[in-house]
Amino acid sequence: MAQPKDKLAETPAEPRTEPEAERAAEIAELRQRRAEAEKLGGADAVQKHHDQRRLTIRERIAGVVDAGSFQEVGKLTGQGRYAGDKLLGVTPAPYVMGLASIDGRPVAIGGEDFTVRGGTSWSGERKKGGQGGFVEDLAHQYRIPLVNLIDGAGGSVTSIRRRGHSVFPGVHGFERSVQLMGEVPVVCAVLGTAAGGPAGRAILSHWSVMVKETSQVFAAGPPVVERSLGEKISKEELGGPAIAVDGAGTIDNAAASEAECFGLVRRFLAYMPQNVWELPPVVMSGDPVDRCEDELLHIVPVSRRKAYDMRKLIRLVVDRGSAFEIQPTFGKGLITCLARMNGKVVGVIANNPMVYGGAIDVKGARKQTHFIDLCDCFHIPLVFLVDVPGFMVGRQAEAAATLREGMRSVYVGLQATVPVYTVVIRKCYGMAGMGATDKNGLDLKIAWPSAEWGSLPIEGGVAAAFRKDIEGAPDPKAREQEIEAELRALASPFRTAEAFGVEEIVDPRETRPYLCRFIDAAQGRLKSTVGPKPKFGVRP
Amino acid sequence: MPGRIIRQKEFDLAKLQVRSDVAGSVWKIMTAVGQKLDPGDTVMIIESMKMEIPVITEDGGTVKEFCVAETEAIAEGQVVAILET
Repeated sequence: MAQPKDKLAETPAEPRTEPEAERAAEIAELRQRRAEAEKLGGADAVQKHHDQRRLTIRERIAGVVDAGSFQEVGKLTGQGRYAGDKLLGVTPAPYVMGLASIDGRPVAIGGEDFTVRGGTSWSGERKKGGQGGFVEDLAHQYRIPLVNLIDGAGGSVTSIRRRGHSVFPGVHGFERSVQLMGEVPVVCAVLGTAAGGPAGRAILSHWSVMVKETSQVFAAGPPVVERSLGEKISKEELGGPAIAVDGAGTIDNAAASEAECFGLVRRFLAYMPQNVWELPPVVMSGDPVDRCEDELLHIVPVSRRKAYDMRKLIRLVVDRGSAFEIQPTFGKGLITCLARMNGKVVGVIANNPMVYGGAIDVKGARKQTHFIDLCDCFHIPLVFLVDVPGFMVGRQAEAAATLREGMRSVYVGLQATVPVYTVVIRKCYGMAGMGATDKNGLDLKIAWPSAEWGSLPIEGGVAAAFRKDIEGAPDPKAREQEIEAELRALASPFRTAEAFGVEEIVDPRETRPYLCRFIDAAQGRLKSTVGPKPKFGVRP
Repeated sequence: MPGRIIRQKEFDLAKLQVRSDVAGSVWKIMTAVGQKLDPGDTVMIIESMKMEIPVITEDGGTVKEFCVAETEAIAEGQVVAILET
């Protein structure tokens, strides 16, 4: 990818006077120093890095940003080597950063250079980035997104010898990183083995991604684990995507290659405003608002026991090709994706009936909490596509604190101030169902004719509520079924609509135009409430 | 590098394992050993949370063996079938 044209690369006119010769020497030194920076850790180190199927920090930045848009800052930083006062060479600081643009919008971008001392921290007069530093100040002061390309293992004990003392944790702290979370979009890509500070930095982001097979993330790597616990484990087993993305949700998404990862970073930012004082960009796709897909009519099976493809349902409703799934492999009972409706960014939260019938388990709840926070922070309306039987039940679920994590997502939902649209596809039960509504807002709930709702599903509820009646009957089983049938007839969504307990029943095909109409109408209101959103109280 | 070759093999093996996303019991095996499956085909149906949950192969392949029988209880993430390409 093209670098910005370096004027210094052009040969200056032959110097004629002594002052001109002095100027020429200065410019020559500047050129030499810039050339040293381009070499990173040297040809051998770069080759070794490439052999591990990893790109250099300069290649990475070029891969993420608009062609030729990288304006580096601090290119001369490093450790000079001199013979007398003649410069022999410079070992660059192990961090490269600056200003660039993505889709024509400015971003602050930086990352560790693994080819210089493994990307360990560097102490100059001012920190360049990685955890605070110039690049984070740039994002904060100019209110532009921050892209962190992480490939470093943080501090090294060798610095004790150099300094003659050990450093208190947090000298270069996370305070700016935390502040940015309420101001501008922060994206972190883990592109190597990240431990310690850089691993922690990856979590302080609105969205994070790592690369399969070439990246791992953990609080501490295998040598520390073995020393602390006697546990022998490879770094892939300890912090590869199977653990960090699929299992723990520590990192949001996994990419098959660095190139795919860069595309995902650009894609995520396309849904984001530049900062919380703006609304996300509107991107018209040409997909008609009144596209009514017949497939929606048959997508929910008649049998209540059968599951269906919720991802397909989402694709049929949102603007064509606009769904971008966040955390697709973690907490699979819930689907969260950014998408567009008539060009406006929305956050879709959908229950996945394929996994535990869409019940909210501890991971799904955590995923929902994070996604609501993300959308609320950047003024993105939420669309709930509801098919939830409730919170996950059972001993395992209770032991995992599903109730607390579930109520946390309800709490965060009730603190959110973006418009929330509730579309009940099938089941909407209990506290989890309540968590999918907009009690502090317009509380617009629309339902498909296949919808059913209540405090709890009739099957489970009848046995408990009518126990005496059932036990006293000559044929208890028949009596239970009789009561169930009676209640089920009354549970028709049309009866609730009669009482205005649900605002509308729509033909499934009308879902898209109906939602687009209301999302369009809310744009003025969204404009009037931009800015940071302080949250009060104590999250359960 | 020998280490990498071994990792790659494990990766291929994982691709052929069909896992259930949910705990539950095997309700119905929908395929037979030797049957060729396309990506997205249903291998078997698990009963979980009073629902019939299909186990789908993402990559497709030919059914080599089943690791579970009908009515058997299974754990979340358990390998239920092995396919070969």
